[in-house]
Amino acid sequence: MTTANSAIFNPTDLVLELDQATIDRAWSLSQTAGNPTSRWQNYLNQAALAVFLPWLQAELDNSAKVEGEAWELINGTAIATKGAKLVLIPSEAEDLSELRVSQEWIDIPSWTADYYLAVQVNVDAGYVRIWGYTTHQNLKQGDFDRRDRTYSLTDDQLISDLNVLWVARELCLDEVTQAAVEPIAELETTQVDSLVERLGNQNQLLPRLAVPFASWAALLQNPQLCQRLIAARRGEPAKTPILKWLKQGLSEISSELGWRQLEISLEGSKGNDTLPNSGLAKKLTIANRPYELKILPLTEAGEWRFELCCLTPGCTIPEGFKLKLLTADLKNFEGNEDVASQAVNQLTIDVDLEPGESLVWQVEPNPDNYQQEILQF
Amino acid sequence: MLPRQDTVKIFSTFLQFDYDRFGGWATDTRLRRSMNQSIDKIDANNSASFWALYWHQIWQEQPASLAREHLAAYLQEVCFWSATKTINGFSSSQYTASDCFQVAIARIDKVLKGFDRERGFNLKSYASITFANLIRELLRQKKEIDICSDWSLLRKLSQKRMIEALANAGLDSEVIDRHILAWNCLKAIYVPERATSTRKLPKPEPETWQAIAELYNQERYTQLEQPAETATKESIEKWMLICVKAARSYLFPNVTSINQPKPGYDSGEIVDSLVGEVDDSLLTDMITNEEVAQRSQQQTDINQFLTTLVAELKPEEQKLLELYYSLGLKQAEIAKELNTKQYTISRKLSKVRKGLLMALAKWSESTMHISLTSDILDNISSLLEEWLANYYDSH
Repeated sequence: MTTANSAIFNPTDLVLELDQATIDRAWSLSQTAGNPTSRWQNYLNQAALAVFLPWLQAELDNSAKVEGEAWELINGTAIATKGAKLVLIPSEAEDLSELRVSQEWIDIPSWTADYYLAVQVNVDAGYVRIWGYTTHQNLKQGDFDRRDRTYSLTDDQLISDLNVLWVARELCLDEVTQAAVEPIAELETTQVDSLVERLGNQNQLLPRLAVPFASWAALLQNPQLCQRLIAARRGEPAKTPILKWLKQGLSEISSELGWRQLEISLEGSKGNDTLPNSGLAKKLTIANRPYELKILPLTEAGEWRFELCCLTPGCTIPEGFKLKLLTADLKNFEGNEDVASQAVNQLTIDVDLEPGESLVWQVEPNPDNYQQEILQF
Repeated sequence: MLPRQDTVKIFSTFLQFDYDRFGGWATDTRLRRSMNQSIDKIDANNSASFWALYWHQIWQEQPASLAREHLAAYLQEVCFWSATKTINGFSSSQYTASDCFQVAIARIDKVLKGFDRERGFNLKSYASITFANLIRELLRQKKEIDICSDWSLLRKLSQKRMIEALANAGLDSEVIDRHILAWNCLKAIYVPERATSTRKLPKPEPETWQAIAELYNQERYTQLEQPAETATKESIEKWMLICVKAARSYLFPNVTSINQPKPGYDSGEIVDSLVGEVDDSLLTDMITNEEVAQRSQQQTDINQFLTTLVAELKPEEQKLLELYYSLGLKQAEIAKELNTKQYTISRKLSKVRKGLLMALAKWSESTMHISLTSDILDNISSLLEEWLANYYDSH
């Protein structure tokens, strides 16, 4: 990799090397992206992060970590450090004449940060350069371009010495960095599905500009919906974080995805804190009759029971019905299905799962509106 | 080059290039008249630095006045030295000192805007590093852009730069908007397919042009004030070539009007409003000895503080500063001297500078009784740069 006149940068610039190993890794990680455009965006952000975060951890704060990104949809990476939130904004532009930040980072309350860093990425020359930064407040007062929905500031409106940021964090404790931001109204549940379907379509090349900002922002500010949209654009099935939900309780959106919480009493749990004391249930409709899929924790940690039963009082599960579980990459495993060889009250599968394992559930015949779902444990 | 001595000349004459060499000074008679008028108002004989501060203050209040041109005249030598010194550090002989000079002096507003009269040392040393940084950056950019194919180049421009380039090429704003939309559609659709080798992107295939045209036609309803006609793939391609050409020629503008002296007003018709009012009260305020003495003492104190601070740094840190600031060595050369890797230089320098900045900030806060804000720290950072450049230059 040639370093074209890597000679000298301004002394106030922070220039970090982007070596071949980092490039290769960032490129390989970016392959999960949904289309070439988002892959390139993913790649540049991965590269910038791979170089900046270790530097930040080594020099200033070893607890610094990534706080958020949605590279499939937006440029930029949020990092949490020492009580401040930074957003890296990578760019390929060689002229360092402006910092251009997508509106999402400025006007969505949960996305706003304290500081926004202008990061030049030159993959061929092999470096990443932080050449300036500014605050949320300054950007909010900057130029707003309604065509690409960005806020921008010119180079002389930025502070060019990144060291000023760290010194200011220590010496100017009361300084305000963020401007007030209006809350974004939540979406009507009826809108959600159609929005996700429309914007999750790969043919929609610029989803962030396709609908009014209010709708787009409402979608993005909800972490589950945001992930759902990203998964849709990548052509991946949605992921359902079971353990997380059971520990933290279900949010409204989980109930929109069809799941509800079940109170259960575990025999022999004896106040074991690590065992969840609730399960999850989802209603299904098969051939016009209501059924329910339950996921229940058993007494031993890591043991789960999947149960399919019918909801009409006095009914049974017809002969031939099958409840099946598959690994995340859709492979069978021993004991992964239960078939009704005759009419039964329920179908049951007990599994032993390591933390972090994932499963896909299936029922034959297919329930109405069946969508493949990856359950994460 | 013959530097100027006479105060009036310093603020009213401009450097002329004979090819790439110094070709004499040309006088702008308006500026000469303005300086003579100003000088007449005061009895005392004031130095050029005094007048620099005066005109800088006037410029802040009236950016469109003659003050800016007076300062451009004042900074001619500084700009000349920055240009010649910086270009010597670049091995390629494609660029002339004259080109660099023109580009730098055209960006004088950046110097004037960033100079902090309260804390900054003097306008010349601040201008010197600002011009040098500007020119170096520009040469680096030009070099990168020169090795890029047209299609790679389009990815390596900010929107601001692209708009400026198109405006510079004479397009009106509606036409520019269409070009910018098409350019953004191109960047969305035509992305590199490999991790590196982004400098030699080939021309897009017909199907790609078609996709870009379709995206443009879809987006024009929401993104353009007047959607205009449907674009074909041929028209998109044509527009992109215009963008490329505009971008390449924008980097080094041929003529800077600021360095061409205006035609003189020798006919005797002195129109006062054209010459610029001399602000009497401001002059009187400025020449009070108190302010001059205060600024001078401040600079001495800062100088003392920083000299001591630097002397307390570790030897390898001092060496690093010396190699960077005095010799203007390239990163690779510094790395070799210090027997370390090239890309660690920026990190090390940043770390040393952070220590100095922190110490200087705390000291400023306590001795000068100022409450620190990020903007003030930004100025202190510039002050530190100025000091480092001066200190190592004279040692």
